[in-house]
Amino acid sequence: MKVAAVFLILLLVLLPVLGFSATGDGTLKGRLQTFVSYGLSLTSILLCLLTIIISIYSVTSDIEQRQIYTVITKPIRRFQFLLGKLLGVVLLDVILLSLFAAIIYTITIYTPQFFNATETECIQANNEFFTARAALNVPAVDVSQEVKERYEQLERSRELPEDISYKEIIAGLTAQQQLAKRAADVGQVLVWEFNNVQPLDQSMFIKFKYDVAVNPPDMQVYGRWFAGDYQYIRYGTESKTPVYDRIHKHSVRNFHEIEIPAEVIPEHGHLAVAFQNAPLNNTVIIFPPDGIEVLYKSDTFTGNFIRAVLLILSRLIFLACLGILASTFLSFPVAILLCLFLFATASFSGFVIESFSYLSVNIGIIYSYTIKWIVQLLPQFDKYNPTKFLVPARLLSWSLLARCVAVMVCIKAFLLLLAALVIFSYREIAKIIV
Amino acid sequence: MSNNTTDMEYAVETFSLTKIFSDWWGRAKVYAVDDLNLQVRYNEVFGLLGPNGSGKTTTLKMLLGLLHPTKGRALILGGDGTDSKINSRIGFLPEESYLYRYLNARETLDFYGRLFGLPTKLRKMRIEALLDMVGLKAVANRPVGTFSKGMARRIGLAQALINDPDLLILDEPTTGLDPIGTRQIKDLILKLAERGKTVLLCSHLLADVEDVCDRIAILYGGKIKNQGQVRDLLQQTNKRQITTDAISDIAIEKIKQLIQDEHAYCEVTSPMEKLETFFIKTVAAAQQQLQTISGAVSTTKIGDFLTRQTTSEDILDKLVSAPVSQESLPESPITEKVVPVESPTPEPDEQLLSKLTGSAEPSEPEPVFREEKVTTQPVESEAPQVEQVNKSILDQLTGRSTAQNEDEEQSNKSQAGDTGDG
Repeated sequence: MKVAAVFLILLLVLLPVLGFSATGDGTLKGRLQTFVSYGLSLTSILLCLLTIIISIYSVTSDIEQRQIYTVITKPIRRFQFLLGKLLGVVLLDVILLSLFAAIIYTITIYTPQFFNATETECIQANNEFFTARAALNVPAVDVSQEVKERYEQLERSRELPEDISYKEIIAGLTAQQQLAKRAADVGQVLVWEFNNVQPLDQSMFIKFKYDVAVNPPDMQVYGRWFAGDYQYIRYGTESKTPVYDRIHKHSVRNFHEIEIPAEVIPEHGHLAVAFQNAPLNNTVIIFPPDGIEVLYKSDTFTGNFIRAVLLILSRLIFLACLGILASTFLSFPVAILLCLFLFATASFSGFVIESFSYLSVNIGIIYSYTIKWIVQLLPQFDKYNPTKFLVPARLLSWSLLARCVAVMVCIKAFLLLLAALVIFSYREIAKIIV
Repeated sequence: MSNNTTDMEYAVETFSLTKIFSDWWGRAKVYAVDDLNLQVRYNEVFGLLGPNGSGKTTTLKMLLGLLHPTKGRALILGGDGTDSKINSRIGFLPEESYLYRYLNARETLDFYGRLFGLPTKLRKMRIEALLDMVGLKAVANRPVGTFSKGMARRIGLAQALINDPDLLILDEPTTGLDPIGTRQIKDLILKLAERGKTVLLCSHLLADVEDVCDRIAILYGGKIKNQGQVRDLLQQTNKRQITTDAISDIAIEKIKQLIQDEHAYCEVTSPMEKLETFFIKTVAAAQQQLQTISGAVSTTKIGDFLTRQTTSEDILDKLVSAPVSQESLPESPITEKVVPVESPTPEPDEQLLSKLTGSAEPSEPEPVFREEKVTTQPVESEAPQVEQVNKSILDQLTGRSTAQNEDEEQSNKSQAGDTGDG
């Protein structure tokens, strides 16, 4: 298969070139993020294409060039033939993927040394890239009670707008109330609580973004940040662990991280983080819905990288099964076309699902019983994109990986393979020649 | 049929086998095989004849499960053609050799050997024997994609024989082969039949079929038009032929007189040598004169494991460890010994039957018939082999080598170095 050689050489050349040319935003972290993102995506997409082509070709060429006549008449069951082909493709995938993953990993690890990065850059890269950080988010606050009260209040005073439905009024009120919960007036304090905080490292991070009602002159605001035992911050009781308390100045509408020593975390892992809109500011500060997270190191970069590669492998196994299925009843060009179409759909599955549900509002029932299921059957490659975890150094946990593998390989790929085996066992192998 | 006195099973049996190729709308287009009832007995060489497009290949494909019959049923070795137990006893050579282009000859055979799960030692031994037999030893390390049609055909034949099959299905076995290869295949078929194997071949090369087949069926338009014993179909019972050594004109005149007394007509000529025999003689002579050619080397050898009279694998394995040159002389067949081990063979019963009934007239007893054919093998091809092996044993005993062996070795070496197109 020359196509395999072409892909191989392409990757072998492109990966080191990428290592040099990917500069990102100029910092070491940016360079690393760009390289890993592009490198892994490129490897993934090329191997996906290769898997589709090879899995289809290996079966259809045997049928079209009729080598299968002498193979299938030997004491080989038809399912053994297909499983053998699948095994071969998967084995090739494993070898190529480990090769390229090793190259990407090596280049990534040696990039800081190679470019003589400064110490601050190295520290930043270590904290924000060469790590696998678990993220704790703040769930949306339940405001239904307040919404209900507000609605009744409006109803009593007959201020409800006539031309808007009940549903829309409730939705509007909910958004209003939730925004209020995330907004801090000048001098006001917002408190968030996080459970089960167990960092591996000496420090943890608060990642946040400010939105403001009125733009400050230099686009920067002051904020006083607290972190510590939730009982101390909530109720002012005695705290055994130290409490973080510092004022920072940050620009608005950008994500920032502040590093906090891990010693502030109490033994029971129940941490509270508080923010006070410093009186120096002259504006209300609002945190957007995804505007605050607590990040802490919970695994190494290497572990995360390996899991990301396994994620790609599960994708390849799925595609190999898809290719084998297509090749059991389609000729080479048609099977390729079908698989590429499905691959593209799977790669944009989020967009596809959203647009379908948007377009089909008016045909709700038909939609929910037909297209919805078909679309759900496709794997969602974009949802489990490994670069989504590696670039922001987010933890890709074993449980998430296991869930993804279970759905994509154990259920979806298995079903495809089963269909392939059934079709192949009952089809006529020989061509019709009279 | 004249032979249904015993309730023997057929090696291949079809019951109103029908294959209709229909178009996309499901309308019947072509009756490729039409209500075919075919019976091939064990230990029989059966020829399926017919012009192009008469349904020969389609029938074979249905037997092997590559196509599904539209109607009817096909039994092969008493079972289904897709059963792997049955498959392990079948050798199949398709109408063209479809090989994996990037494997070399030895790897190709190894691949097929592995599909049968043959143990390594036995596999290695058989591969070497088969490569030797089909004359591709010198080019065994060349990818088969670079092989000429005849060479690919030889590999195809070798792969069909690697499991020492009980039933050999050959689709146009001699296409693309030179006369020596053709002769060799015919000899092989006869040798296999001697060992109680069954051969089903389809061809439209009538000369080949006539030489080897016990029974034939002629297909046309998917239907059997004629079938029976080759001898019965072809023998002209109203004529007699006498062959003698070169005798004097006076004697001929006397004979003519005798025949005229019987009121019969007679013609006296010198018999013509068959072109095939003449060709093989010429090539054999050229081979002796060190002429080297690239590609396949035509030999008249037949793989030892295919001609050996025992089928027990243990004995095969024992022989593997023995030096090749001592392995075997082409031994005299002792067919009786094989019979209990092999699949049921009809001869003893037939013989008994003809003895009991006392009339050998309606159907010739098969063993006699076969012996006749064996003697028609060219003496030129058989004799040198025996001689060589004899000599090589002699050499081992005496420790000296004859000029002929040196010649052989040299020609083999030069062939190994030369890898042009065959």
